[in-house]
Amino acid sequence: MMGDQFRKVENYSPKSSPRGARSPVVSRQDSSGTLKTTILLGKNPSIVPSGPFYLMKEPPVESDLTGATNLMTYYGLEHSYSKFSGKKLKEQLSSFLPTLPGVIDSPGQQDNSSLRSVIEKPPVGGKELLPLSNIQLDGFRLHPGPLPEQYRYANATPIKKHKNKHKKHKHKESGLPSQETAVSDTSSETHEKKHKKQKRHDEEKRKRKKEKKRKKQKHSPEHSSGLTPSQHSI
Amino acid sequence: MASSSLENLETQLEMFIENVRQIHIIVSDFQPQSQNVLNQKLQALVHGLQEVDKLKSQVQDVHVPLEVFDYIDQGRNPQLYTKDCIEKALAKNEQVKGKIDAYRKFKANMLVELSRTFPNELSKYRALRADE
Repeated sequence: MMGDQFRKVENYSPKSSPRGARSPVVSRQDSSGTLKTTILLGKNPSIVPSGPFYLMKEPPVESDLTGATNLMTYYGLEHSYSKFSGKKLKEQLSSFLPTLPGVIDSPGQQDNSSLRSVIEKPPVGGKELLPLSNIQLDGFRLHPGPLPEQYRYANATPIKKHKNKHKKHKHKESGLPSQETAVSDTSSETHEKKHKKQKRHDEEKRKRKKEKKRKKQKHSPEHSSGLTPSQHSI
Repeated sequence: MASSSLENLETQLEMFIENVRQIHIIVSDFQPQSQNVLNQKLQALVHGLQEVDKLKSQVQDVHVPLEVFDYIDQGRNPQLYTKDCIEKALAKNEQVKGKIDAYRKFKANMLVELSRTFPNELSKYRALRADE
């Protein structure tokens, strides 16, 4: 069996072919459609065999733009690349939007301020925006006085020393007043100071009380009676 | 065109935010004489919304990837997304260029070896493929 197989292979090998090293001529149908002949019509009609090779196909059309070209240069994005690759970007959103008031670094899902929610549940729109009438403005008539504690500090900007430096610089350029940040900062600072002072004060009071107690105990007769008999003897 | 309209929108939004910030100050310790100022600010708020609404048509062709919103919602710098995209694109570009270069070298070597082993066939092949 094996010998037969080898013989068959040898029969079709290019070396044993009567045409030498050329491919053997075997009568078979061109299923691939690659064995083409070109028929030229006109004054001198002729038939030119155009496909002497098996499995020869037309090469794919080469596109002008491939991955071989530097696409960053092609689209003129070198500047953006050098801008982002060079420096180390800060993680926080507040570093991208330094002038935005309020706490913006916390996840948006916490206070329902996420942009996703705007896409998933778009707000009711399509109505014309009109200025408020006097009657409507009456709804905004407020009582004098400060806001309750829980609302007053809710939207205050967090105090960051290095950030304030940037802010100062920015405001100098834009000329916008930073009332709220100043107000909120100072108010929050004073608030913290008050707390600290109170704490210190309380601690001092406690210490004084303790000292007084000790002194009283030392001088009081109870204190001496508190000693053990052995101590008395010594 | 697109950049100027974006700048306009940015300016309008900044003004709107500034207006809201000032309302916050007025309201946080409200004085009776501030009522008129508050009313003016509220009207300015409506006007600001109208202005933003007008600019809507100018930014219709601006497409923002949804992933950027995820970055913002998580309190992260959206420029990090741009940076990630650029780095990924560059890495892929280099990878594809490497593949193309390797195939080119392989083709050149193949043609050299084939011309050594099958000189006649290859000359025919070269005749067929003028560009080879």
